[in-house]
Amino acid sequence: MNAWTDIMLVVLILTTFWLLGSSRLASCIRICAIQGVATGLLGVVGGGLSIRVAAISLAVIVLKGLAFPWLLSRALRESNTSHEVQPFVGYVASLLVGVVILGLSFWADSCLPALSHVASRLVAPVAFALLIAGLFLIVARKTAVNQVLGYLVMENGIYTFGFGVVREIPALVELGVLMDVFVAVFVMGIAIYRINRTFDHIDSDQLTLLKG
Amino acid sequence: MTAGWILPALVAAPALLAGLSLLARSPRAALRTGAAATLALTLAAGGAVARVFLCGPLQCAGGWFYLDALSAYHLAILMLVFALCSCFAMVYFREEIGAGLFTRKLARRYQALWFGSLAAMNLVLVSNNLGVMWVGVEATTLLSAFLICIHATPQALEAMWKYLLMCSVGVALAFAGILLLAATASTSLSGHDALLWTRLMNPAVTLDPMLVKVAFIFLVVGFGAKAGLAPLHSWLPDAHSQSPSPVSAMFSGILLTTAMYGILRYIPLVERATGNTGWGREVLVALGLLSVLVGAAFVIGQQDIKRLLAYSSVENMGIITLGIGLGGLGVYAALLHTLNNSLCKSVSFCCAGRIGQIYGSLDMRRIKGMLKVSPLWGGGLLAGLMALIGVAPFALFISEFLTVRAAWQRAAYWPMGLLLFGLGLVFIGVLRKAIPMAWEVPESAPKPPPTHRAEALLVWLPLALLLLLGLWIPRPLGAMIAQAAAVLGATP
Repeated sequence: MNAWTDIMLVVLILTTFWLLGSSRLASCIRICAIQGVATGLLGVVGGGLSIRVAAISLAVIVLKGLAFPWLLSRALRESNTSHEVQPFVGYVASLLVGVVILGLSFWADSCLPALSHVASRLVAPVAFALLIAGLFLIVARKTAVNQVLGYLVMENGIYTFGFGVVREIPALVELGVLMDVFVAVFVMGIAIYRINRTFDHIDSDQLTLLKG
Repeated sequence: MTAGWILPALVAAPALLAGLSLLARSPRAALRTGAAATLALTLAAGGAVARVFLCGPLQCAGGWFYLDALSAYHLAILMLVFALCSCFAMVYFREEIGAGLFTRKLARRYQALWFGSLAAMNLVLVSNNLGVMWVGVEATTLLSAFLICIHATPQALEAMWKYLLMCSVGVALAFAGILLLAATASTSLSGHDALLWTRLMNPAVTLDPMLVKVAFIFLVVGFGAKAGLAPLHSWLPDAHSQSPSPVSAMFSGILLTTAMYGILRYIPLVERATGNTGWGREVLVALGLLSVLVGAAFVIGQQDIKRLLAYSSVENMGIITLGIGLGGLGVYAALLHTLNNSLCKSVSFCCAGRIGQIYGSLDMRRIKGMLKVSPLWGGGLLAGLMALIGVAPFALFISEFLTVRAAWQRAAYWPMGLLLFGLGLVFIGVLRKAIPMAWEVPESAPKPPPTHRAEALLVWLPLALLLLLGLWIPRPLGAMIAQAAAVLGATP
């Protein structure tokens, strides 16, 4: 049981690195979908499968594995962008930053008091690494699609933490959170579509009319 | 308790109204029924608030809904601001409707999102479960995002994207904080109670101080981004300047305050977990001062009246944070300042919006002699600006003075000095812009618009209230604020 949790956590980290090094937006969306499914499976393989856990895991897999990728691909098709042309931080540098983030997460975890009833010792550091890596993606990439993906990576980190450390959050809260994330990505998708229609590109870097 | 049913109703009613507004027959009808329904909701909420202050906290649904003095006080401010802004929307959009710019489709969408935001903010205030409260804050962001770009100009879209991304990311960080708190609480509370605020406040619950500190940092950064605290305030001036004026008035009047309320809820928890060492309050003092100084510095260089008001919001949220951080009298001052700032900001944004429509520009270099051109809106804006910079008889002077005195009492001389410096900068910066706007003779004055008598009420009533509060605080209001401050553990 524990081994499966660890495998999923490793998948989460690997997909994050893969994302940090990819430039084609279509494959970035696909990588994010894989990560979403892995996040969803985390609850299933963790043991103690109840109806509540199963329902939430299913919702996560459907949303993050199918709905979000579909929504984002559609937004991408409407635009003429296929690559992240010149990110603020290059791909090799991004990977190095990823390594530093991972190291820092393990270090930070060793500083905090041990959390009780954790499914695996890797949960907290991996979740933390995903959170920071997501934040990094948002500031280091220029296209709106990649920024949304960064938000999703961050969200996956928070979800991982929630499921690994606080398994007993009421289902209502969990579903409310999922619902919010869904609406967030939905709204962002529409926003990308609209930005694209008005500016004819989805480089949020070029959104610089407002200053001061 | 039987009266508790009103709490879920306060969320359900606006949500229902949001659905109904999609059926509005004309733009005018949408705005008019919207305003009438908001006024009715205000009365209902007023009843709940009065009950809380007379008979103690209300709760419902097994403790998931809970309204105590602190949330009731914020609920009263929320409904006041929404009532004012809904009425103003009828005035503001009248010309756009006449010109065919505010179509039925837009009006329906606008009114639905407006009620949706109201429902989400009410959810934040009436929920006892910290997780549900978070859901409310995030829902507020998502529902209000499209209000910014009702008119889809490139600038409005840019402002909306910035708002959406920064606030979503910020609020996601706050959720990480909530999870950390739940992680430490779940050692002594069972699953379903681990996030109920009233249960967490039970002294028998042990919280790990280190984890609570980390959680509080996440929460302050996360909710702080949405409350407009520096250094994560950069979405604020854009969103405020690009949205239609009733929306900017609502944003700065209550959206920021609701996010601030999110932070306030955690202060008693942090205080208890850290053994009343005042660690959490020191964080707030530092953050508050930074916001005051950043807001003040940016107020000086602004050319756009709405951006100027937005930076003044950053400054005022800083003053509130600082007051809470100082504790004791400071908490009382901060809560009073919350009310004053919300009222004054809403009126100022409404007047600035109308002045902008009359002059066809929000550029302060082009707005001249506004007192002659429109005594009502120009006078309202001037009075609003004067109140904001803390001119004496207005209520903001009193709350700012009390904050300074709280710092003096605590012997926090450095924060006091920096606060006074920030207030001075804002005073000079705003006055330098306001005098030419009010009195300078314009080269070509625009035609003064016809004004209705009811519109005058909309401007002068809140301003008169501010003036009254500056001269005399009615005993019930004083008691209300004292009760709310007591929730935060402050005894003046």
